[in-house]
Amino acid sequence: MKTLLFLLLTVLCSNAFSQSTISGKIIDQQGLPIMGASVYLKGTYDGTATSEDGTFTFETTATGLQTLIASSISFETYSKADDVTKLNTITIKLKDDVNTLDAVTVNAGTFNAGDNAKVTALKPLDIVTTAGALGDFVGALQTLPGTSNVAEDGRLFVRGGGAEETQIFVDGMRVFTPYSPSANNIPTRGRLSPFLFKGITFSTGGYSAEYGQALSSVLLLNSINEPQEEKTEISIMTVGLGLGNTQKWKKSSLSLNTSYINLAPYQKLYPDNNEWHKPVESVGGEAVYRYKFNNDGLLKVYGAYSSVDFDLTQEDINVADGIRFGLKNRNLYINSSYQDFLEKDWSIATGISFANDRSEIKYNNSDITDIENSAHLKIAFKKFFSSRYKLNFGAEYFATNFTENFEDSNFEDDYEFDNNIFSSFVETDIFFSKKLATKIGIRGEYSELLQEFNISPRLSLAYKAGSNSQFSLAYGEFFQNPKNDYLKYNSDFTAENTTHYIANYQYVKNKQIFRAEAYYKNYGNLVKYDTPFALPTSTYNNSGSGFAKGLDIFWRDNKSIKNTEYWMSYSYLDTERDYQNYPTSATPDFASKHNASLVVKRWIEDWKSQVGLSYNYASGRSYTDPNKGGFLTEQAKSFNSLNANYAYLISPQKILYLSVSNVLGTKNVNGYQYADQTNTDGLFDRRTITPAADRFFFIGFFWTISDNKDDNQLDNL
Amino acid sequence: MKSLLLIASFIFTLSLTSQTPYEKGMNEAFALWEQQKNTEAVQLFERIASVETDNWLPPYYAGLIEIVSSFGLKDEALLNTKLTRAKEFLDNASEISENNPEIMITYALLNTAYIAFDGAKYGMTLSGENVAIYQKALTIAPSNPRVLLGKTEWDMGAAKFFDKSIAPYCEDVERAIVLFNEEEQTVPYYPYSGLERANEISANCKKETSPN
Repeated sequence: MKTLLFLLLTVLCSNAFSQSTISGKIIDQQGLPIMGASVYLKGTYDGTATSEDGTFTFETTATGLQTLIASSISFETYSKADDVTKLNTITIKLKDDVNTLDAVTVNAGTFNAGDNAKVTALKPLDIVTTAGALGDFVGALQTLPGTSNVAEDGRLFVRGGGAEETQIFVDGMRVFTPYSPSANNIPTRGRLSPFLFKGITFSTGGYSAEYGQALSSVLLLNSINEPQEEKTEISIMTVGLGLGNTQKWKKSSLSLNTSYINLAPYQKLYPDNNEWHKPVESVGGEAVYRYKFNNDGLLKVYGAYSSVDFDLTQEDINVADGIRFGLKNRNLYINSSYQDFLEKDWSIATGISFANDRSEIKYNNSDITDIENSAHLKIAFKKFFSSRYKLNFGAEYFATNFTENFEDSNFEDDYEFDNNIFSSFVETDIFFSKKLATKIGIRGEYSELLQEFNISPRLSLAYKAGSNSQFSLAYGEFFQNPKNDYLKYNSDFTAENTTHYIANYQYVKNKQIFRAEAYYKNYGNLVKYDTPFALPTSTYNNSGSGFAKGLDIFWRDNKSIKNTEYWMSYSYLDTERDYQNYPTSATPDFASKHNASLVVKRWIEDWKSQVGLSYNYASGRSYTDPNKGGFLTEQAKSFNSLNANYAYLISPQKILYLSVSNVLGTKNVNGYQYADQTNTDGLFDRRTITPAADRFFFIGFFWTISDNKDDNQLDNL
Repeated sequence: MKSLLLIASFIFTLSLTSQTPYEKGMNEAFALWEQQKNTEAVQLFERIASVETDNWLPPYYAGLIEIVSSFGLKDEALLNTKLTRAKEFLDNASEISENNPEIMITYALLNTAYIAFDGAKYGMTLSGENVAIYQKALTIAPSNPRVLLGKTEWDMGAAKFFDKSIAPYCEDVERAIVLFNEEEQTVPYYPYSGLERANEISANCKKETSPN
């Protein structure tokens, strides 16, 4: 009996005595208690949640060395290994998790689009369903502030910069010829089809040291990693036909897209003010192959081929019969990229892109053949030291070979240059806290052609002032070699440069975004020449300069009106330059002082339709009136365009899409052309340059065939 | 002496019928969940998961509760944090149990939570993913009633959207009910639930498709 009693006692005692109490308090960095945090001993069932005053207490039967874990939403998880007996009345301070959605983001100068971004200015569908954008992602970006509307060009003009000051990258690799060629006064379109991309970052200044050779802006496109399913897509449009197919295998996938565009029928029905000998005919094909390796490695190979032919005669005030312009363009672009996660929080991204572009141009009686071969090689490494400290560095090489042959009845010549640039960059991201973060980078570039080395420092800083608002600042130096149009005649240049200063305020709350950004840009070493056009015989130098300053405002609201989303942009721009053949400093003819746009989209459930409207306004651009003297001192009338689109889902896989640009038929003016000689009254006659057509109609029928009966091409529109 | 014996036998029987720590933990977690103490329930499932490293059920439930409790949230930052955590739990669960149809359809539920929050932002990419998930799950487990029900509900949503008849899907719901009733419930704490939901949908079907 005694033994039994003894045994019982020992059992009871051992039970009672092996219990230890774990207790303490959990606070945040400000010392405020954290309620509901989880505290437990790793590998045991013992733990609890903190009470309202941040305190916790629980019992454990575990003994010896144990690991205490404390975690709470939006804080970094804390762990401490110690003897259980010492884990009482301890105070644990949890650090803010800087990777949460409500943490500060370094974003001065940058707009993100796509579902991977913390704050999305444009959603994936917006890229393609913005009225007036006609399925061109560049069109959708032109509804963001910081861009100037240059209706007759179609390319991106950012903050007083010319179109060639914006560079486009796909998966980190440069796209050398991103725009389809077009005739004078007819807007061009981007070559890349928008539905290949899932994320778009559009930076209007102050961007990362990873990107160079762009004075004004970079547009970063990320292609889809893995298509969702196998499908065939058929498009029948007023301007042509499209066919796409996606195949998926266990580790890889292949998407093919072909399109045939012929504007002949359209131009028969709606003639424009050009005399077309051969309306635009283009054939294009794209293929994307993706392969996933066993580890996290992902290889993507994108290839695109397109051919564009057209021939037309355009009115010209100095040439009675007009100017004949014909073009045959063949473009091949290959972009391969590989990314992988390595051990110890390293990751690697590498790639190569290659472009071959051949244009045969007929300009009146001259024949011009341009051939451009370009390549970009890049390797970049990233190291995550912690969620608060990241390092990114790499090296890249750009090679461009350009040849031009010019031939007419009495003259023939060849021009050629090689423009090779080696660069390397290093950049670090530091989060001091959830409220304060910085990105510091430096980039070095050596140009073989110009034989010079340039260093560009970049710096951004962001501070979160309240739960919904933040302030950011950015500074950077940017260099870019002069454009091909000059390099083919002369290479005794230095790189053009600009310095950006940006201050940004952002307010984000429940599907509403407000952004205001002020900037100042200072241009130096711009190319100047002394003839009406850049010619082989011109004298060139780098003595040009300029500035741009302004304010960009953006407001998006997806909340206030049910089923309706809208956004508004306003840009104020004050810019002057003394470059090219300008006799004096003046506002270039592509820059308008005020730019505004409003985009509205409404989903009408009963009609299974999305109705979209967009309105673009740009104040008049400058031009020179030789009758009045002066240089770029006159102002043309302002630009107004109201666009509408309508998408009707006939069934889950069939969509009818209608779009009309400039519904009201507003008579816009792209500029004026003055005669070289005065008329009998001693005045220079002028011709108003109007858009080729006031309105543009587009009707398309899109049909998706797949096992998944819900999928459609809504994202292609 | 008698009392002593009594105590001894009491302790003895207690230890015989007493639950394993796993059972005790799971029961407690389910009780917390039932009392709507979601945070505590998730935390307990998380602790159990940290011990039971080869059992997919604790992280599965931790993830499931995070997802279910994120429907109806208005704050995108919180939604994102919760669903990111939920995804970590589900990733953890599917590492333990690969190609598990129950976990797969929970991923689909996670996507649905995002889509419900903002269809325009997440619908385009995630709805296609969901269809693919249901299809894959159905090939792996053609007679899993939850997979069938999940897929059918998803298809019904699409059919309703396009004003199409939901009648063909109602047959699938009936089939799911049969499968639910045939299902042998052998694994403790396995997520066998779903019959009630199926009955609800079935009742709805009868209401909507009845000619009047």
